[in-house]
Amino acid sequence: MSQVETAVPAPTHRGYWSLVMSRLLRDPVAMACLAVLVLLVCSAIFAPWLGLADPYKGSMIARLKPLGTPGYLLGTDEQGRDMLSRLIYGGRLTLFIGLMPVVLAFFIGGALGIVAGYVGGITNTIIMRVVDVFFAFPSVLLAIAISGALGAGVLNSLVSLTIVFIPPVTRVAEAVTSGVRQLDYIDAARASGANALTVIRVHVIGNVLSPVFVYATSLTSVCMILAAGLSFLGIGVRPPEPEWGLMLNTLRSAIYVNPWLAALPGVMIFATSLCLNLLSDGLRSAMNVRD
Amino acid sequence: MAGCDDVLSYFLRRLILVLPVAFGVSVVCFMLVQIAPGDPLTAIMPVDATAEQQAAMRAAYGLDKPLPVQYLIWIANLLQGEMGRSIASGRPVAGEVFGAVSNSLLLAGAAAVIAFPIGTFLGFLAGYFRDTILDRFITALSITGVSVPNYWLGIVLVIIFSVNLGWLPSMGAGPGGSQDWHWDWAHIRHLVLPAVTLAVVPIGIVARTVRALAGDILSMDFVQALYAKGLSRGDVLRHVARNAAATALSVMGLQLGYLLGGSILIETVFNWPGSGFLLSNAIFQRDLPLLQGTILILAMFFVGMNLIVDVAQAAIDPRIKRT
Amino acid sequence: MFQLRKGLAALALSVAVLGAHGAAAQGTLRIGMTASDIPLTTGQTDQGGEGLRFMGYTVYDALINWDLTSADKPSVLTPGLATEWSVDPEDTTKWTFKLREGVTFHDGSTFNAENVVWNLDKLLVEDSEQYDPRQSAQGKSRIPAIASYRTVDDYTLEIITKEPDATLPYQLAWIMMSSKANWEAQDKDWEKVAEHPSGTGPWQLETFVPRERAEMVPYPEYWDETRVPQLDKMILIPLPESNARSAALMSGQVDWIEAPAPDTIPAMEGNGFVITSNAYPHNWTWHLSRVEGSPWNDIRVRKAANLAIDREGMGALLGGLMIPAEGFVPPNSQWFGNPDFKLTYDIEAAQELMTEAGFGPDNHLQVKALISPSGSGQMLPLPMNEYIQQSLAEAWIDVEFMVVEWNQMINLWRAGAADPAVEGAQSINFTYFIQDPFTGFIRHLDCDLIAPNGTNWGHYCDEDMQDLFKKIKTTFDPEEQDALLRTTHEKYVNDALFLMVTHDVAPRAMSPKVQGFVQSQNWYQNFSSITMAE
Repeated sequence: MSQVETAVPAPTHRGYWSLVMSRLLRDPVAMACLAVLVLLVCSAIFAPWLGLADPYKGSMIARLKPLGTPGYLLGTDEQGRDMLSRLIYGGRLTLFIGLMPVVLAFFIGGALGIVAGYVGGITNTIIMRVVDVFFAFPSVLLAIAISGALGAGVLNSLVSLTIVFIPPVTRVAEAVTSGVRQLDYIDAARASGANALTVIRVHVIGNVLSPVFVYATSLTSVCMILAAGLSFLGIGVRPPEPEWGLMLNTLRSAIYVNPWLAALPGVMIFATSLCLNLLSDGLRSAMNVRD
Repeated sequence: MAGCDDVLSYFLRRLILVLPVAFGVSVVCFMLVQIAPGDPLTAIMPVDATAEQQAAMRAAYGLDKPLPVQYLIWIANLLQGEMGRSIASGRPVAGEVFGAVSNSLLLAGAAAVIAFPIGTFLGFLAGYFRDTILDRFITALSITGVSVPNYWLGIVLVIIFSVNLGWLPSMGAGPGGSQDWHWDWAHIRHLVLPAVTLAVVPIGIVARTVRALAGDILSMDFVQALYAKGLSRGDVLRHVARNAAATALSVMGLQLGYLLGGSILIETVFNWPGSGFLLSNAIFQRDLPLLQGTILILAMFFVGMNLIVDVAQAAIDPRIKRT
Repeated sequence: MFQLRKGLAALALSVAVLGAHGAAAQGTLRIGMTASDIPLTTGQTDQGGEGLRFMGYTVYDALINWDLTSADKPSVLTPGLATEWSVDPEDTTKWTFKLREGVTFHDGSTFNAENVVWNLDKLLVEDSEQYDPRQSAQGKSRIPAIASYRTVDDYTLEIITKEPDATLPYQLAWIMMSSKANWEAQDKDWEKVAEHPSGTGPWQLETFVPRERAEMVPYPEYWDETRVPQLDKMILIPLPESNARSAALMSGQVDWIEAPAPDTIPAMEGNGFVITSNAYPHNWTWHLSRVEGSPWNDIRVRKAANLAIDREGMGALLGGLMIPAEGFVPPNSQWFGNPDFKLTYDIEAAQELMTEAGFGPDNHLQVKALISPSGSGQMLPLPMNEYIQQSLAEAWIDVEFMVVEWNQMINLWRAGAADPAVEGAQSINFTYFIQDPFTGFIRHLDCDLIAPNGTNWGHYCDEDMQDLFKKIKTTFDPEEQDALLRTTHEKYVNDALFLMVTHDVAPRAMSPKVQGFVQSQNWYQNFSSITMAE
């Protein structure tokens, strides 16, 4: 884990965000990745209206058809279900359990970090020591341990991954908040008798948000891979739900019969995670945050 | 360089901070298995065992006592080095876990030996030749490395190098098992595929970190000053490397910890008899004492690793010292 | 590609052999098991059927063994450490066993009646010095009939059963005999015995590394000369992950794997590996709930479901490695009989039955079924269950799955259909070891064994069936007993008491170098006849 540069109180006026946007728009790699991700998300969301085959309905006669088979553009899986349809529908769960934990961790960890950093004292100690405990586990180990204990299931994966990503987000938020808190104008606001919540809302959040947000985006790719990994191990999403990690697992034995087919879910995970990483990098340089 | 006493007192202060974390870790490990649904003894009883036999088993494993009591018994035993017995195999957990962790360390170490020099070299090149084609290429390579699901890569490598080409073995820790480990090719060839697979992510991470560091430092004033002083390129590079060492070291130390904890999926793919393999068996057999023991040892190792990295960093570069 | 690859593989292999190790010497057979650990070595093994196959019937003997020499006919009991046995016609609870003389354990001590008593105490008498909870957990429930036992003389043993029970010989085929002298030599510590076990079997355990490998060498003094192993060594390697198993075989790290994934079989055969398979007493069923309110109480629904499944079609999923069910036991079983109800695929007949039962295209029957994504002997539970789900929908039966982990599934199986934990599920997908009258028939449907007291999951209780069970237990003539078992099986099928789907054929994949293996129709196998070609 790299330390995060704490003293980056970015200006909070609107101009800053439009500057970020315009910088981002001029980054072709980031824009291409964004386009791919938007496409993935949209096709996942609107899957039922895309006229795809039923992702659950298979046919024993049509199993493991190769790519390009008429009627099955991307072939069929071990149950004879349409791969194209399953990959697109699979995006729903995969992206959900790949991104949702980071979103949740962003809010929960962010809130905890801001409170800890702003209030300080005993509150800080309690929050940060608990965070330290969870931080003591390597993330993969913690995710697998919790999921393994809870058993398979979407909700369980969500819980375990969220728990994994709260501590790092909290640490970053706490570090940034502590830094911001010492700035003069916050002191002035506090001295002028402003209510703590107001100060947090007006001054702290604005300053803390962007570095924490950038940090959170850098976690999404790890989360994606980890979530699919849980399903791959058999302690994530349960069959017959389409999900890329699980599809990778169930198609493993077909790798000798039809390697390209078996590789598809892996390619999807890889491509998504690559786009998330590149977009996060683009965002980072657009926001001028360093780590 | 900081004085020896400074480092020692820093080490002691860190150590005191580590104790509550260690306590918390033990509580988490203990609670982890309590949230598990299902009866932990299911796996070892014949499927048609009677209710009476099940109750007797439960009492024999102390699973009929209240939770806090179970925790105290567990921790008391732990402090005496007694980690209980695996429910599934009946063997002492301590022996199983330490055997497995040493196998994992071997694998993680081999991966680190592959990843750190390559990562550093690539990162350094990219940072030094910033914004050139070379930099772009290396950056793309390292992003690819951190984006690829390594468990999938492992399967692909097995198909290519074991099944299709027959060059390297696909599983196990040597022709005679891990207890028979020797440093010869017959054994090392078993290490190649899993270590390479495991090394891919840290290569990417180390390369990215080193690139950022090298780039930053090169753009700093003192480097310009060094050039101005008429130092050669090589001398400047040496200065830069020393400056980057502390941060790079911390990243690598943590990566080693991650390698150890993160090898679970790789070990499953390669049937490597390490802690990850043990852990996945423990999970699927609901072997609670083994699950607790493995996670605890790995987490404690990680805590220790953090401590060492902190102290080493402080020793190399006193400016980094934090309270 | 494959030709090239084979050449390269052979080259790499020969390099490995010539290299530092030479581990793959001639006559060494390396087997990849599906278990994740080496089975318990002290005698009564764990790891289910695979445990007894590799660590039970290899290192040990039972008083009565299974005959594993024939591939063509159903496997039957054969004298093991007991040469003959009989029941007292006056008192049918009293059995006498004549024991084999001149048998020595691997440690050199002599086998006798005292040893049998000592072994039974090891499992049944908790305050005996040699009581071993681990072995007891595996063995005690296998011999429920035994009330008491004593030595009559050195080579004669008497066993008294709780009630007349003609299935006792089958029960005894579960019980492995470990050496008392060895246990004493190992400081009476089962932990140490585990490292250095001693039985009377054809193989001696030489070394083992937990979770990694076990090495066995032949026991030249084995009492049955025809079963003294011909190999120099047999090595067992746990490889629980099916792809890792396939890769290990194809890259030449093992010579034999258990249960190759069906989809990898064409690639293996294409590369000259040999797939063996054979029928054995295993079935893959849905055990149906017969509690009040279950739709499966209606025989028309049960029959309709059995007629709605295209069992041949399911073969594609399993690479053809299955035997479509025609009854509860495999069609070639000595107990199959001649049931009137034929398990064919006839969707019209199924729909007709469903119509009679009051259902139709607009009025589907809703059922809830318990399944698990994995589990020992479950074959490919998810795809197979999904296939059944699709098939039953054609007969207007909509299946909702309740998917639970395998260990949880075992708990729910023990709890029974009426337990709140099954959340109203009306069937459980369970595969059965059906090698003897008790495991094959009685335990599933006996009124006295209704879960949770026994393993009659569905709470079925029927007077005629109960009568049949009673007769099986009290018929001591083997042929008459077989006839009764056939009648019982006919009733199983005619009443469509289960959703009978398929039988596994225990596929194994092996290198063409493995020669002389005869796959018996049994859960256990004989490894003594095997040799390795150059």
